[in-house]
Amino acid sequence: MKILDVFPERCTGCQACMLACSFATVGAFSLTKARIRVVKFEEDGVDIPMPCFHCERAPCLAVCPTRALYRDKEIDAVMLDQNKCIGCRLCMIACPFGAIHYDGVNKIVYKCDLCFGDPACVKFCETKAIVYDTPERLAQIRWEGKAEEVAAAVKEKALVRR
Amino acid sequence: MANKFKYGGYAGQRLRIDLTKSQIKKVPQSEEDCALYLGGRGLDAKILYDELPVDVDPLSPDNILCLSAGPIVGLLGPTTGRMNVAARSPLTGIYGNSNVGAYLGAELKMSGYDDLIIKGRAEKPSYIYICDDEVKVRDASHLWGKNVIETTRILQEDLGEEFRVAAIGQAAENGVLFANIMFDYWEAAGRTGLGAVMASKNIKAIAAKGSGGLTVHDPKRYMEVVTDAWRAVEEDPGFQTGEHSALGTSVVLMLGNVQGWLPVRNFLENYFEYAENVSAEEFRDRFSTKKTPIPGGRACMSCPNRCKRYGVIESGKYVGTKGGLEFEAAGGFGPKCGVGDLEAVFHAAMLANDYGMDAISLSSTIAFLMEMVERGMISKDDLDGVDLRFGNAEAMIEAIHRIARVQGKLGQLGSMGVDRAAKAIGKGAERWVTTVKGLETISTDPRVSTGFGFGYAVASRGSDHLRAHPVIEMVTAYRKVAEELFGSPEVCTLAKYGGRAKMVYWHENIAAITDSIGSCRFMHASYYALYPIPELMAKYGLRRGKEVHSIKYHEWISAATGIPLTYEDLVATGERIVTLERALNTRFGIRRQHDTLPRRFLEEPVANGPYKGAVFKKEALEALLDEYYDLRGWDKATGLIKESTLKRLSMRDVLEDLKQRGLLAGE
Repeated sequence: MKILDVFPERCTGCQACMLACSFATVGAFSLTKARIRVVKFEEDGVDIPMPCFHCERAPCLAVCPTRALYRDKEIDAVMLDQNKCIGCRLCMIACPFGAIHYDGVNKIVYKCDLCFGDPACVKFCETKAIVYDTPERLAQIRWEGKAEEVAAAVKEKALVRR
Repeated sequence: MANKFKYGGYAGQRLRIDLTKSQIKKVPQSEEDCALYLGGRGLDAKILYDELPVDVDPLSPDNILCLSAGPIVGLLGPTTGRMNVAARSPLTGIYGNSNVGAYLGAELKMSGYDDLIIKGRAEKPSYIYICDDEVKVRDASHLWGKNVIETTRILQEDLGEEFRVAAIGQAAENGVLFANIMFDYWEAAGRTGLGAVMASKNIKAIAAKGSGGLTVHDPKRYMEVVTDAWRAVEEDPGFQTGEHSALGTSVVLMLGNVQGWLPVRNFLENYFEYAENVSAEEFRDRFSTKKTPIPGGRACMSCPNRCKRYGVIESGKYVGTKGGLEFEAAGGFGPKCGVGDLEAVFHAAMLANDYGMDAISLSSTIAFLMEMVERGMISKDDLDGVDLRFGNAEAMIEAIHRIARVQGKLGQLGSMGVDRAAKAIGKGAERWVTTVKGLETISTDPRVSTGFGFGYAVASRGSDHLRAHPVIEMVTAYRKVAEELFGSPEVCTLAKYGGRAKMVYWHENIAAITDSIGSCRFMHASYYALYPIPELMAKYGLRRGKEVHSIKYHEWISAATGIPLTYEDLVATGERIVTLERALNTRFGIRRQHDTLPRRFLEEPVANGPYKGAVFKKEALEALLDEYYDLRGWDKATGLIKESTLKRLSMRDVLEDLKQRGLLAGE
């Protein structure tokens, strides 16, 4: 089972993920219709990708009165059945990350569906700040990255001693 | 929002604002202009050509400030966040324009507009607010007098962080002739003084946020072409070194010092003893906030290259300085002014950004004044006691403050650029200027980088590298390919002239395309991911991997817009845009005698480095001009455009106009 994960320190803020997302989902390039957002702290030079994390105990799913939100077992994702959505927006209130968006034209919400297991945002993330992989592999990316830093520091220290 | 316009990719409307009449109009985009000139730089030039009074005073309400985002801006292709700004330049008096990255172009288009055309003058300081259909000219009294960072921050706090802002600083308000427009804090529409034009219209800033969606002509084909383009960038040998991403544009500073084209002390020398101190590596190690886990900085929209830096000075005299240092600012405030202190160089560059001044013209003007002091042409007293000598970092910083405020004799002299400063100094100071058509030369020596040099001589906005940017002459790995394209064995040998006319001609045509559609220079010059170069590299066995991917702008534009284009059509479209800019400049009085280099580069030999003794030979320049005019179909005697050329390029309206004005060359 794969999960969608972010490495904010790798994000360059280019927003390609948002454009890829909107094109994959609504067929147009749009920043406001994207289901993933990149928050740009321009003045501080920091960019943070904010996707839906498809929480295991998802608050949105818990509050949905019509069960329009449900968990897809196959890709382990929180999905939306548009036909059941009554546009009450309780899920938007419940989501701690603001990952649920409101479609003012059709008067229902929309959210990330992981492109049914092949997320478009990941394909266009040049620096791999957004990754779709197994939890084991994601942990490995992190420990290996940290180990590289430690290795560099140890090497530098060894050079100084010599 | 579905595009109602005939062609895909475009927003489909032009936004016209007449500040004097308080009029805001949304008019349909022009099908004909888009088919001929695409967008961005091409459309800006067309709008100016059609609407700008020829004798307009650049700082009067009658000047027109155009901002245009091309048809592929915001459409996910690599490096597609760019837009173009143009007006008659107050610095050079000719066609002024500047291309810029960041994000505003996409927001403008998603609001529904490809072009923003600003005329007239607002009664009081104002800013332009754009949010979809809602467009307003709002009071900016509270922002006037503030610099770029504060202005941008206040607008984002007021309107929301998702608004993208272009702003001018104090320098523009004070009438500095090379004042720029800063986009999203850090990106400059730097050259030719467009900030001063914006200030003359009483416009402090432009803020935009769009909620619309942009559609393309052939979605399936479009994604294929764009995916190929991303892969072409990723497979480019230059991109794969990771240096440009890890170190930013300043990565070339050390290279220039070794190759002997890095200008030192206002081009008096070509080797900088403190180059390492002001290098990109040093910036990364000392100030960069992003070193791990992947080296590299931040990006404009959809850009895999991420050449933007971000760093902070955490202690010492310049504590709190933040932002990114790029090559022209590093080269300008560093070697060109003889300053080897990176903190001072970084601080100077960020002051230039915050006051809103072009780092190239500003550093060149300071370097020129430094030379005048060293030569005894002016004294310390002429500069209000500031000891502006090569290498004096503190004096350089002080000069920046005074120039931005146009304070005292130094401030006045410095605020008008090199040409006017030389005239004001008199006594023959003009012999040491480093300008072409009134624009200061960048940090690459034309006597050594002769392709760059020839590019400065013919560039439509004056001495600037970005009209052509023929980096290929510096990279011997491309020798075989460059030989085939430009027809000379000397193409990758510096300080030689072979192939330079064709080289500049081709690079200019492609650059006109990328500036017009909204893609970055670095895709076709720096990296050579553009068709047919990866294919030619493969042909000569110079590329690994079985499959060859390349950026095919002709297919890309076709899939996005529905305008059918072959590669040959693409080059011809670039040619058309360059020729239109020439037509514009012809009306401003530009002829063959203006397509030249200043005396310094033609007569004074390079003082040191591997090309010691080199000059840009006058007879070589004349021969290149002959060849270049022939390629372009311009008249060799006068530099005017030939009637047959305008016919060939389907520029009937321009033909009629030039004919009426008597500015057409016979055959």
